[in-house]
Amino acid sequence: MADVVFPALSEREPEAAGVLSTWFVADGDQVADGQLIGEVMVDKVAGEVIAPMAGRVHLLVTEEAAAHQGEVIATVE
Amino acid sequence: MSVTDSATAPPRGGVRRLTTARAVAEGIAQEMERDPRVFVLGEDIGAYGGIFGATGGLLEKFGPGRVRDTPISETAFIGLGIGAAVEGMRPIVELMFADFFGVAMDQIYNHMAKIHYESGGNVRVPMVLMTATGGGYGDAEQHSQCLWGTFAHLPGMKVVVPSNPADAKGLMISAIRDENPVVYMFHKGVMGLPWMAKNPRAIGPVPQSGDEVPIGRAAVAREGTDATVVTLSLSVHHALDVAEQMAEADGISLEVIDLRSLVPLDRQTIMSSVAKTGRLLIVDEDYQSFGVSGEVAATVAETDPGMLRAPVVRVAVPDVPIPYARPLERAVLPGPDRIRDGVHRLLKA
Amino acid sequence: MDDKTRLDLYRVMVLSRTYEEALLREYHADKKPAFDIGAGLLPGEMHLSAGQEPVAAGVCAHLRPDDAVTATHRPHHIAIAHGVDLDKMTAEIFGRQGGLGHGRGGHMHLFDPATHFSCSGIVAEGLPPALGQAFAFQQAGSDRVAAAFTGEGAANQGAFHESLNLAALWGLPVVFIIEDNDWAISVPRSASTAVASNADRAAGYGMPGQRIEDNDVDAVYAAAGDAVTRARAGDGPTLLEIHTLRLWGHFEGDPQAYRPDLAELAGRDPIPAYQARLQKAGILTAELAATIKDEASARVEKAVEFAKSSPAPEPETARDYLFA
Repeated sequence: MADVVFPALSEREPEAAGVLSTWFVADGDQVADGQLIGEVMVDKVAGEVIAPMAGRVHLLVTEEAAAHQGEVIATVE
Repeated sequence: MSVTDSATAPPRGGVRRLTTARAVAEGIAQEMERDPRVFVLGEDIGAYGGIFGATGGLLEKFGPGRVRDTPISETAFIGLGIGAAVEGMRPIVELMFADFFGVAMDQIYNHMAKIHYESGGNVRVPMVLMTATGGGYGDAEQHSQCLWGTFAHLPGMKVVVPSNPADAKGLMISAIRDENPVVYMFHKGVMGLPWMAKNPRAIGPVPQSGDEVPIGRAAVAREGTDATVVTLSLSVHHALDVAEQMAEADGISLEVIDLRSLVPLDRQTIMSSVAKTGRLLIVDEDYQSFGVSGEVAATVAETDPGMLRAPVVRVAVPDVPIPYARPLERAVLPGPDRIRDGVHRLLKA
Repeated sequence: MDDKTRLDLYRVMVLSRTYEEALLREYHADKKPAFDIGAGLLPGEMHLSAGQEPVAAGVCAHLRPDDAVTATHRPHHIAIAHGVDLDKMTAEIFGRQGGLGHGRGGHMHLFDPATHFSCSGIVAEGLPPALGQAFAFQQAGSDRVAAAFTGEGAANQGAFHESLNLAALWGLPVVFIIEDNDWAISVPRSASTAVASNADRAAGYGMPGQRIEDNDVDAVYAAAGDAVTRARAGDGPTLLEIHTLRLWGHFEGDPQAYRPDLAELAGRDPIPAYQARLQKAGILTAELAATIKDEASARVEKAVEFAKSSPAPEPETARDYLFA
């Protein structure tokens, strides 16, 4: 199993708060290694959420919910 | 008629979904891989990936020779696109906001659109002029317009207006491959941008393949029997939301037609639907008078007005510049409340 | 400059002037007794280039058929100097089916793909597409160039300024040629332009600029040769401004009441002046000059005949060629 972590977009603030803006997959979907599965925002900067391995994804954060850098937002197994 | 299930289907397991912005960029990238003549020009389309994400990732993939940021010189770089197209290249030129057409309209409507005809068909201008349109996020008079009626009105350029990610990719591919100038107009509100409130339909399944979506063919986004709603762009999403709600709450069955293209206009699909329902509501975020909604109404009026059981209802921007203050902006844009009200007026008559 | 080159320049200028004289005749022939712009075989506006031949001849002598040329509402001398098919061009000016654009474009919208020639009736707006043609040539790694002609009035239009900057920024193989004929319709240069010479503006846009005086075809030839060589070598654009002469009105039918120098114009005609210079240099004789004139007349009349015998387009075809 692998953690999917909110990417670090702000270098100055390692635990900066942001938003999980978009999920491209539904909870339980099969994902491929390297697949783009979501988008996040910190301030005005957008970032990509990439699946770290192939498997079934389990979403831990809902769309438009607040989250912070480094937080585990999904898992893949 | 075809049902575009990307606009209505719930997310399905294992199907790849993208935002409209990413779908546009993917369409461009696939064509750039396939055809070395394709290149991209515009302001902030390189490292920034386009203000509205339409060219995301292209600079990294194809380099600064084929993905070029320009100075703020729309006349010069749109004209440059024209000349390059005349010499056999396939430019994609981004006009950052459709509202900016004023500074470069001569190159667009007097050159890009007319050279093929003026030359008796001997010179082709196979370029894509892509541009961001639409409001609803407080950008006021000069940055919120749709203006597709203006472009559609002037002969010599095709005009496409996708509403959803799959159509956005397919229409971009068609536009690039078309031998004619194509004005590709994407509403900012359908792009699925993380920094702008979005309708869930801004994210949807997008084929991996580089298949074209035909220019000049509307799509039946939702089948129905009580009334026809002809619309385009972001208003398709609002119309579908209203249709779902009214089916549930009032037992009203609305047929929603997503025009997808304005030039050529799929009058056949419009007429077939109105023939079935007898009632026509047109929802258009452009200015009401002398534009798309009038053209759709005229299509019915000059073909067979007898098929109408009630007068046509138009829900559009009421011939006023788009104001800044949110309550005013909401009042003039054709949002779900105005659409619902329009349906009631249509069915009551 | 060798003798043959100078003789060729003379020939091109004579052909061009003979052509414009023929069009002048044809244009006015059936607009009598009072001038009616929409009447006759050649309706519409007509902008003839008598007096401006040295610019076209001197620049186009350095161009190949696969170099691009964009011209203005006053395009005939440039088209002729660049080698556009004279018969098809004339048929287009006459609005006939056998014309370059099958009659769709007329005299301000001549397109000849074989010589990459185009012109436009919107002042200064031919410059941006020339940039694009130059860009395509550059991308293909060729040494082809684009020559973009415009007027001194157009040099105050936004498209001019944008085009110069972008051409210099991207090092495009473009030569910009301003025909300063003193008049933007009725507005003299002194009332339109803040600087004495548009060549001075070139430095402001990051490119070399040169002004040529006296409508001198030899000087135009020399300057254009340098500019074209520079562009072919990948060294970027150049701006040339040539002080030339508009012998006739802005358009045919222009009474030119605003113009104080009409009486002296004949004395400034560049073609008799060049003829005299070549004769003095022993390159041209009166007999050869007469032969050149006769050959030009024959060629021009053949083109006019071709045009007149080409059919008018059928009304039902008005929507043809809208989309490829």
